[in-house]
Amino acid sequence: MIASTSEWAIDLTHVDKMYRGKIHALRGIDMRVRRGEVFGLLGPNGAGKSTLVKILMTVISPTRAEGTVLGKPVGHKPTLARLGYLPEHHRFPEYLTGGQVVDFYGAMGGVPKAERRKRAPELLELVGMREWANTRVKQYSKGMRQRIGIAQALINDPDLVVLDEPTDGVDPVGRRDIRGMVQVLKERGKTVFLNSHLLSELEMVCDRVAILVQGMVSSQGTIDELTRESRRYVVTVRGPAPPWAGEAGLRISGEHNNVATLVQPNDDADAVQRVIDRLRGEGRVVVSVTPVRESLEDLFMRAVTDPTTGKAAGPGAAREGRAR
Amino acid sequence: MIQTWAMLVDAYRELNAKKLFWITLLISGLVVAAFAMVGLTEKGIKVIVWDIPVPMFNTTTIEPATFYKLIFSNLGIGFWLSWGATILAIISTASIFPDFVSSGSIELTLSKPISRLRLFLTKYATGLLFVTLQVAMFSLASFLVIGLRGGAWLPQVFWAVPIVVLFFSYLFSICTLVGLVTRSTIAALLVTVIMWLFFFGLNATDAVFVQLREQAVLREKALVTRVDNLEKRAAQRVREKRQAALDLDPAATPRPDDPVTPEDLDADNPRLPAQRQKLADERESVAKWSKWSRLFVGIKTPLPKTAETIEVLERVLISEAELARFRAPGDEEEFNVGERDDVRISGREMRQSTEKALKSRSLWWVMGTSAGFEAVVLLIAGWIFCRRDF
Repeated sequence: MIASTSEWAIDLTHVDKMYRGKIHALRGIDMRVRRGEVFGLLGPNGAGKSTLVKILMTVISPTRAEGTVLGKPVGHKPTLARLGYLPEHHRFPEYLTGGQVVDFYGAMGGVPKAERRKRAPELLELVGMREWANTRVKQYSKGMRQRIGIAQALINDPDLVVLDEPTDGVDPVGRRDIRGMVQVLKERGKTVFLNSHLLSELEMVCDRVAILVQGMVSSQGTIDELTRESRRYVVTVRGPAPPWAGEAGLRISGEHNNVATLVQPNDDADAVQRVIDRLRGEGRVVVSVTPVRESLEDLFMRAVTDPTTGKAAGPGAAREGRAR
Repeated sequence: MIQTWAMLVDAYRELNAKKLFWITLLISGLVVAAFAMVGLTEKGIKVIVWDIPVPMFNTTTIEPATFYKLIFSNLGIGFWLSWGATILAIISTASIFPDFVSSGSIELTLSKPISRLRLFLTKYATGLLFVTLQVAMFSLASFLVIGLRGGAWLPQVFWAVPIVVLFFSYLFSICTLVGLVTRSTIAALLVTVIMWLFFFGLNATDAVFVQLREQAVLREKALVTRVDNLEKRAAQRVREKRQAALDLDPAATPRPDDPVTPEDLDADNPRLPAQRQKLADERESVAKWSKWSRLFVGIKTPLPKTAETIEVLERVLISEAELARFRAPGDEEEFNVGERDDVRISGREMRQSTEKALKSRSLWWVMGTSAGFEAVVLLIAGWIFCRRDF
C-alpha cells in the first residue's frame, strides 16, 4: 500500500552528493521514514550515512536532493526547529555545565526561556543527568556527554529526532538506557532516525532499517521483510538423511554422529509438518525442528558483500571514474 | 533574538572561563591605578607623595585635565589598550572561529533554525565582546580618575569603546577569515599578528614620509625667506653702489633705478647661487617626499589604518587649542638636518606641521576605508562559511 505524503517524516528521492567533483558520497538515495517509527540506517564506514544525516540537518548541502523532511523541502531552515539532532563525535563547549548545554542549544533552536526552564529538568531526569546538571562538561565521561547530547536533542520537543551513533562509547547499562529512551520517544509519537554501527542495538529498537552501501540504498524495509527470503526450517533427525530429501525440497546440511541435518529453504510451516509426518511415518526420531531467520548482522554482511568476489565492501565512498 | 542573546551569553561564559580575560582586566586595573597615582604640580609630576621636577610637565605648561587626557589617550589607549591588551585579546579570541567550526561542534549549531549568515555575523560580533568589555571597564575607570584627579568629567573618554573596538575588529576580521579557512588557531594568530605588524610598518613608513615632506616644506619655506632676504639686501647694496657711482660720474650706468639682474645680485653676494641651488634642491625634496607620501597613502587606502584609528581618539579628546598650548619634548629646540646644513627648523613647528598633515586626513579615509577592508574580509569569510560543507 502506498502511504500518503503526510505519513512520511522523511521522504527522499535522488539525493546525490559529490565532494569536490571526485568523491561520490551519495548516489541517488531514495528513502522513506514513516512518522512515529524508529528507523535505523546501517552501512559500513564511508557508506555515506553521516553525509546523509548532515544533508538532512543542513550541515552540508547536497549536489542534488528532492523530497521532504516533515513535509518541507530538504534544507528548509525553519523546519529544523522541529528536529532534534545528536551528531556523531559531538563536542560541547567545555566551559558549560550540562544544564547550560541543554539550555544553550534549546535557545539556539528558538525555544523560549520559559519552556526551556520547564523542559530541561525533565529531560535531565530522563537521561539520568539531573544530579550532574551543574557540573562542567569537561568533567563528564563519554557516556555522560552522550546523555546530555540526547537531552539537548530533545529540548525543543522535536517531531523528528536524528541520533547519529547515540551509543558510541557508552557502556552496556548506558546502551540499555538509551534504548529505553528511544522506546519512550516512540511511545510519545516521535519519529527517531537512528544511525548506528551496533546492529544488535538497531535490531532491538528499529521498526525499519535501510542499508547504505557505497552511497546507495542496498535494501530497506522492516527487518521481517528484509529477512523473509532467508527464513528456513532446520530439521535434525536421528540416522542418515532420508533418500527422498531432495525430491521433498530439502537440502542436506550435514551428517554427524548419527544425526542428519536437513534444511527447508523457506518458512512454509505446512511443508515442514509434512516432512515431520513423513519422518515420523518412517519411525525416525526427529531431534529438533528450528525456524531460522537471518540476523541483522547476516543481512548487513550479505548487503555489503560483493556476490561476484565474495569480499565485503571496504571503507570509503566511491571515487568518480573508479570501479569498485 | 533568543538565538542572538544565547550566543552573547555563551560568548560571555566563554570569556569568563578564560584566565587571560581576567589577567587583562587586572592589568587594565593596574594601569588605571598607576594613572591615579600620578598628579601634576607647579614644578612637575607627583607620584603618590614623591615630587619629581619635570620642566615639560607642570601646571604652567599643561592643564591637569589635558595632562590626564594625554596620558589616557597616548599611554592608556595608545600603548596599553592598542598594544598590550590587543595582543592578549588576539591570543584570547584567535581560537573562537577555529573552535566554532571544528568537527563535532559546528554540526549542532548549523542544525538549528538560524541562517548561516546570521550565525556567522553574530558569532563575529560576539567575538568582539572581549575587547568591548575590556575597553568599557578601562574607560569607566579612567573617566573616574580624570574626574577625581584632573577635575574634569569627560564623557568623551567613552569614545574609546567604539574606536578601540573598531580598531580591533580590523584585526579580528583577518583572524576570523584565516581561522575559518585553516581551522587552526595558531595560523589565525600568526597571520593576524603578521598583518598587524605589516599595517603598523606601513603606517610608520607613511608617517616618516609625511614628516620628511613636512620637514622639506619647512626647509623650503625657510630657504625661500632666506634667498628672498639675501636678494633684497643684495639689491639694496647694488642700488647703493650704483648711486655712489652716479654721484661720482653723472653719466655712469646702470642707473640706480635700472632693473637689478640676478648676475648683479650674485656679483654682490657670492653665497646667493649656492643658496638658490639649495632652494632648488629642497623643492626637489618636497616633490620627492610628496610623491612617496602619496604612494603610501595610495597603498594604505584599501588597508586598515590601525594606528590612525587609535589616533582619532586624540582628535576627539583633545582640542587643537589645548594641543597648541602644550609644549612637547623637543619643541623648544631648533635643529638642522645635516651637520653642515645651516637651515634650522623649529621643533615645535615641525611637530605641529606633521600633526596637522596627519590630522588633515578625513575620518572617512581613516575609518571608512578601514571598515571597508573589514567588510570585504568579512564578506569573503561569510561566503566561505555559508558555502562550506562541514
